[in-house]
Amino acid sequence: MRRGLVRIGALAAKEALHIRRDPFTLYLALALPLLMIVLFGYGVSLDIDHIPLAVHDEDRSPESRALVDAFTAAHEFEAVGALEDAGAAGEAFARGRASAVLTVPAGYADRLARGEVATVALLLDASDAQATQQALTRADALAQVVTAEVVQARLGGMQVAAPLSARAWTRYNPAGRSALFLVPGLTAYVLAIVCVLLTSLAVAREWERGSMEQLFSTPVGRLEIIVGKLLPYLALGGVQVLLVLTAGAWIFDVPARGDLVVLAVASLLFLVGMLGQGLLISVVTRNQLVATQASTMSAMLPSMLLSGFMFPIANMPGVLRALSHVVPARYFITVLRGVLLKGTGWAELWPDLGMLALFATLMIAASTARFQRKLA
Amino acid sequence: MSPAIVVDGLSRRFGRFTAVDDVSFEVGRGEVFGYLGANGAGKSTTIRMLCGLLAPTAGDAVVAGARVSTQPEEVRARIGYMSQRFSLYPELRVAENLEFFGGAHGMGGRSLARRLEAVLERVGLAGLGRERTQDLPGGMRQRVALAGAILHEPAVVFLDEPTAGVDPWVRRRFWGLIRELADGGTTIFVTTHYMDEAELCGRVGLMVAGRLPALDTPEGLKRTHAPGRVWSVRGGELPPEQARLRLAALPGVLDVQSMGAGLRVRVDRHATLGADDLAASLSGTVEVEEDAASMEDVFLAVVDAEAQRVGTAAAFGEA
Ligand SMILES: Nc1ncnc2c1ncn2[C@@H]1O[C@H](COP(=O)(O)OP(=O)(O)OP(=O)(O)O)[C@@H](O)[C@H]1O
Ligand SMILES: [Mg+2]
Repeated sequence: MRRGLVRIGALAAKEALHIRRDPFTLYLALALPLLMIVLFGYGVSLDIDHIPLAVHDEDRSPESRALVDAFTAAHEFEAVGALEDAGAAGEAFARGRASAVLTVPAGYADRLARGEVATVALLLDASDAQATQQALTRADALAQVVTAEVVQARLGGMQVAAPLSARAWTRYNPAGRSALFLVPGLTAYVLAIVCVLLTSLAVAREWERGSMEQLFSTPVGRLEIIVGKLLPYLALGGVQVLLVLTAGAWIFDVPARGDLVVLAVASLLFLVGMLGQGLLISVVTRNQLVATQASTMSAMLPSMLLSGFMFPIANMPGVLRALSHVVPARYFITVLRGVLLKGTGWAELWPDLGMLALFATLMIAASTARFQRKLA
Repeated sequence: MSPAIVVDGLSRRFGRFTAVDDVSFEVGRGEVFGYLGANGAGKSTTIRMLCGLLAPTAGDAVVAGARVSTQPEEVRARIGYMSQRFSLYPELRVAENLEFFGGAHGMGGRSLARRLEAVLERVGLAGLGRERTQDLPGGMRQRVALAGAILHEPAVVFLDEPTAGVDPWVRRRFWGLIRELADGGTTIFVTTHYMDEAELCGRVGLMVAGRLPALDTPEGLKRTHAPGRVWSVRGGELPPEQARLRLAALPGVLDVQSMGAGLRVRVDRHATLGADDLAASLSGTVEVEEDAASMEDVFLAVVDAEAQRVGTAAAFGEA
């Protein structure tokens, strides 16, 4: 037993030296996840921000200016300049100078004063359907706010009872910021890829170099090799989790509302599972190139498509939904979103933790079982 | 005292190809046992089976008192192995490599540190522990690898072509270490391509195409497989090929081989053929000197005999 621990220690220490001496491993483990979080976090963001808005104000009244200010004050729109005539709108679109043009016709203030319906025009570049949809919704809301202000001003500051209206409240993410929703998924996705890749290379490398043969001539056991390989990468994975979550909190203001111990346990289980999957791959393939391909395929696609990261699991067709149950990223994302956004803890998340534990155990058992201690 | 290695009918097939074919031998404790053979003869395959790295398809072996088929754990604990392909991690320092292999054998702490110093000293590399392994010249690397194989004081050490690709001076030095180890009671099983190294072994097994047709001390092998007197012949006016044919045609000549600038003629011990007869058969001034049979003579004779036995030239390999 003591000798077994000594052997595991020796394996882990040696692996840690390899990691320290290999710039590629360090880059893969530490720089890549950060880079992906930052790039994806901005790039995959579903929010539309700062739509360039050109203004064509024919009215030039205090009222029209108030309307324009209301638009440009919202972070969805950003004023890029005033247009002299209506014909300039087409040109502004074509040149890509503006994606939206707000036209306030002459007589806007007068119509308001007379209590008539005043119409303004918002032209949108609809080549991005989703952005258009959001811009429209936002414009509608802005128009209503301005209307309410105008009505209130007219009534001389008297409070008016608002007509009955239904309002939808979104909880946990009131601003509807997609970064909040994406960062947990992204964390799981990035960790999955990097962890599987790291260990799959680590064991395949020993086969390719022939050092596995040397290792087999010593009394180290299969499980000892697996555990000895796993430990240093687990430590590295822990650093990755901290790094990625810190980046999420810092850059994208992702909160941490729940029990961080639950998060730590889930991270540990998820890491063991993914590192174990990498070990299994390299035990079977024994070849770095094949291991790389197998890792990317088996870690990237499910973690991206079937985990709830990009597409809600509830909307998937039955077969895919069933498949998503064997994707560990799914459970880790649930825990991440739960702990970070909803403030949930053990009581709600234990089934997910259980699934992560099951996956981790299966992976370690399978790689140990498939690990042939013979050369041919 | 029981032998260090007992091999009994060991065979290994890869598909339809037989890499090791019914090999049996014994190696005594403290013996330096050499395994000589061409590329692909089956040397590494034999070692791998003896180290418990490869399962035999038939036969079995007992190494340092442990049966390879049923007690692989015990075998691994008692042997040291220097594989042909890999022995060290190049990006690790010398001491880090040794600490790792010591740790893999369950050694640690003070005793490992002390042992590490002692072993580095023994292979003549004291104070080089902090060197990056990849920065060492080949000969030194080989000695570090040997240090790694003997760190845990194994009873039997397997060295698979430990001196491949290093210069003769370094090889001589390495063999000095092997000798010392054996004198200390360690059993050494070493494979080689080099005839001069085979001369340094206590006993030599000759592997040809998976079989072990000859096994004896170097002197014994020469007596059995390269009998007769050997003459070295130089000079003369005939072109070498013609001279060779002339000599081979003389009664009592067993074979003629070219060697450097001259020819080596092996003559039946009972033939009356002498140095003068050899010189007379060639025209011009001819220098004839008595020479000793070499392992090369043995090797070629054994390979020849095997080829005839098998009835094909397939047994030649590419010696
Ligand atoms: N795992 C394997 N699968 C198939 N064939 C193998 C395997 N290992 C060895 N062989 C074959 O068995 C034969 C003997 O190989 P082995 O490595 O034992 O030779 P060797 O005497 O060590 O040669 P060398 O001097 O080149 O090291 C070779 O023809 C080799 O191709
Ligand atoms: Mg070999």
